[in-house]
Amino acid sequence: MPAHKDILPPELIKDRGSLHPINHMKDSIMNLLISFGFEIVNGPEIETEEFNFDMLNIKKSHPARQMHDTFYIENKSNLLRTHTSPVQIRGMLEKKPPLAFISGGKVYRKDDDATHLPMFHQVEGIYVDENVSFAQLKDLIYKIIYLLFGEDVELRFRPSYFPFTEPSAEVDILSKEGKWLEILGCGLVNPIVLDNCNINSSKYSGLAFGLGVERIAMLKHGVTDIREFYKSNLDFLSQFK
Amino acid sequence: MKIAYSHLVQHIEENPSIEHVSDTLFQLGHEHEIEDGIFDMEFTPNRGDCLSINGLLRDLAVFYTVNLNQEIHNKKLNELLIDFENLSNDICPQISFLKLEIDKAPEVYKGSLDNYFLDLNLNKNNFFTDISNYLSYETGQPTHCYDAKKINGKLVFQEIERDTEFETLLDKKITLMQKNAVFSLNNEVINLAGVVGGKRTACSSDTKTAIVECAFFQPEAIIGKSLKYDIHSEASHKFERGVDPECHDRVLRRFIKIVSEHANIKDMSIISYSYKDSPVNKIPVNVNKVNQILGINISEDDYLIYLSKLGFDINKDVIKVPSFRSDVKTQNDLSEEVARVIGYDNIPRAAVDIPKNEKSNNKDIENKLRFFLLDNGFYEVINSPFVSSSSDRSIKVDNPLDSNREYLRTNITNSLLDNLVFNERRQKDSIKLFEISDIYTSKNNEINKIRRLSIVASGRVGHNHIDFSKKIDKKYLTNLFKDALPSEDFAIEIFSREGLNSKIKNEIVGCEIDIENFSTEVLNYREETRPPNSFKKFFQISDLPFSSRDLSFSIKDFSSRQNLEKYILEYENELIKEKFIFDYFYNENSAEIKIGFRFIFQSVNLTITEAQINNVMNDIIGHTNKIKGVNIPGLN
Repeated sequence: MPAHKDILPPELIKDRGSLHPINHMKDSIMNLLISFGFEIVNGPEIETEEFNFDMLNIKKSHPARQMHDTFYIENKSNLLRTHTSPVQIRGMLEKKPPLAFISGGKVYRKDDDATHLPMFHQVEGIYVDENVSFAQLKDLIYKIIYLLFGEDVELRFRPSYFPFTEPSAEVDILSKEGKWLEILGCGLVNPIVLDNCNINSSKYSGLAFGLGVERIAMLKHGVTDIREFYKSNLDFLSQFK
Repeated sequence: MKIAYSHLVQHIEENPSIEHVSDTLFQLGHEHEIEDGIFDMEFTPNRGDCLSINGLLRDLAVFYTVNLNQEIHNKKLNELLIDFENLSNDICPQISFLKLEIDKAPEVYKGSLDNYFLDLNLNKNNFFTDISNYLSYETGQPTHCYDAKKINGKLVFQEIERDTEFETLLDKKITLMQKNAVFSLNNEVINLAGVVGGKRTACSSDTKTAIVECAFFQPEAIIGKSLKYDIHSEASHKFERGVDPECHDRVLRRFIKIVSEHANIKDMSIISYSYKDSPVNKIPVNVNKVNQILGINISEDDYLIYLSKLGFDINKDVIKVPSFRSDVKTQNDLSEEVARVIGYDNIPRAAVDIPKNEKSNNKDIENKLRFFLLDNGFYEVINSPFVSSSSDRSIKVDNPLDSNREYLRTNITNSLLDNLVFNERRQKDSIKLFEISDIYTSKNNEINKIRRLSIVASGRVGHNHIDFSKKIDKKYLTNLFKDALPSEDFAIEIFSREGLNSKIKNEIVGCEIDIENFSTEVLNYREETRPPNSFKKFFQISDLPFSSRDLSFSIKDFSSRQNLEKYILEYENELIKEKFIFDYFYNENSAEIKIGFRFIFQSVNLTITEAQINNVMNDIIGHTNKIKGVNIPGLN
């Protein structure tokens, strides 16, 4: 008689699926930020010009508001949000400081090539309290980058411009090939934005940051063509189990 | 914008190296690349004031001793008599005209003018236009030159709103539509203000008398015109970002000086119109506020020195912002100036302590559903919301990328069906997909948002010896979901293959459900899978066809089975993409195990030949033949 274990069927290897790598990356970043004390706020992908631009100090003349950059819908009555920042505006209008929000999700811009897509994902965070400083923003960004890319990574802050933050910065990390790669944008919340949200800017200040999820995912996974993420190719998706 | 290092450094007493200047520009926030001694600058949209040699030098002056050495004509000038009317002075609050008559245009250029064309490898046009282009490079202020002989009537500036034909000096005919700020002569448009001049009044190599127009246009009136009419214009790039409204006199006197260095001026006269004073921003001196904003501790003396070197005028307790810095209005703006001078990387870090938030993640139900699907072999996909077809509730995009992306989708399932066909064409025989997304529809001008889960599946249940022979169908999927989430109604449907352009006959099943219809019972689901902690490196996908081979074994000596499985499942070859046990049967009567393995062959960069596959298979067969008590039926 054969031993019982020898005639047992082979181990049943169950096929498992995978999270979409962009959603996995987005959730990982958001979970990281939740551990810092941030609270998730959600908002619609269809927005008004008021929330997507005006409240964020993006003037009528700003190029981003042009038809070649922003998708407008239903005879310009609304638009597809170009960033997740309007969600934070909605959050600030609802709550009083101190407040710390993150929002993540799809955003839309009128681009379509190997490095830009008309739909992509962002995660943004905002923290408003008394005496929030640029030095604190730097500390937070260092912590986020170290947790995402390891403490060996070298990073730099560059002056930049966003209408909703002042001062504004872009943050780069140094790749293994010795090239600086842009990772995120950040800054101190422009006092005009706080005032727009009925937050007293002479008492409170805030820090804000935003990451492009695809950009981080491409770096972490070594994907060179952003379009791969959205072909729904099982050969691609099955690599991210 | 391209700026030659040599053009900058000739004004810097310290004579810094190109690398030093490059590092300083980066610290100041001016991104660039360097090629053959030329900086290819990319300025942020708020720093239109830097779009010139002098603009960059104004910023560099905080680190270097800058001496402009740019002479201007400083004698009194006669007043120009010109028939001009400004009907839109809200758009153009400042404008000046200079009329210059020369005896002969020079054949060669000298000094800075010559270097400009030589070092930047630019084509010359005509004398007056060349100086205009050079001065835009040097000062940041675009000017436009008309041939004075062709200005034979009343010149009018106004914003018009009518379709008008216009031929640019670049020989391009365009139709101006909607609102446009223009200069007209005898009711004919001769200049699209701030963008490009017209052919009819343009200067040529024969021009001896020119009228040079120097204006400030509100950026809002210029923005988008260059793109709209597909005219690449450095002038519009500068006017869109804002130019210095107070620079006209200096720029036109510099124009005269350069002309005088190249030709005899027979006559010249100037006139300036100012319809509205330029706003002057004044900000109180408050170093404590700047220290608090940045989290630093600099002295007031250092603070004021930095600002004065950047061109800010400090008068007792007030900082007067220079006219070329329309972007500076608040203490936060001044803080950014200080931060740039100190260097962002030199600002120390200070710990931030965000109060911990106990609020739960409101996506718990959604995440449980995702893990449930993952555990059952489903892959999450994300699709674009843009589609070509519409329903009565579709939302139309006003400015779609193309006609195939004119509407927002009103369901997810159609996207998943496209994904399914795509994967079937790539020879996938087991396809299970899901997507969770917001869906937007419109009814009576009201936009509705619904968050939905959609599932689509077809083909084999799985790639193991139990599931390989089973087909995904309505019954299979209904039972699968009912067993795991008995409280939920997945209402599985069979989707028609009509219109899918696929020859495969497998049943397609799935469902689309509003997330809000799921009960909190979903939260009781205990997932087996967790998302990976690490982020795997992606390997290149092959677009080449794959081939499969099956190998079945008969095992009489059961103790050898594990050896066989171990050998095959751990067998490595770069041509083998996947291998699994697709069949297993224990025949009690004949005391024999039958076990079948499937091998999928695919290469990233070449089509695999029969010979290559046979080589691999022969290698496997050769080794497995040596395992005691294991036979391959039909093989000798």
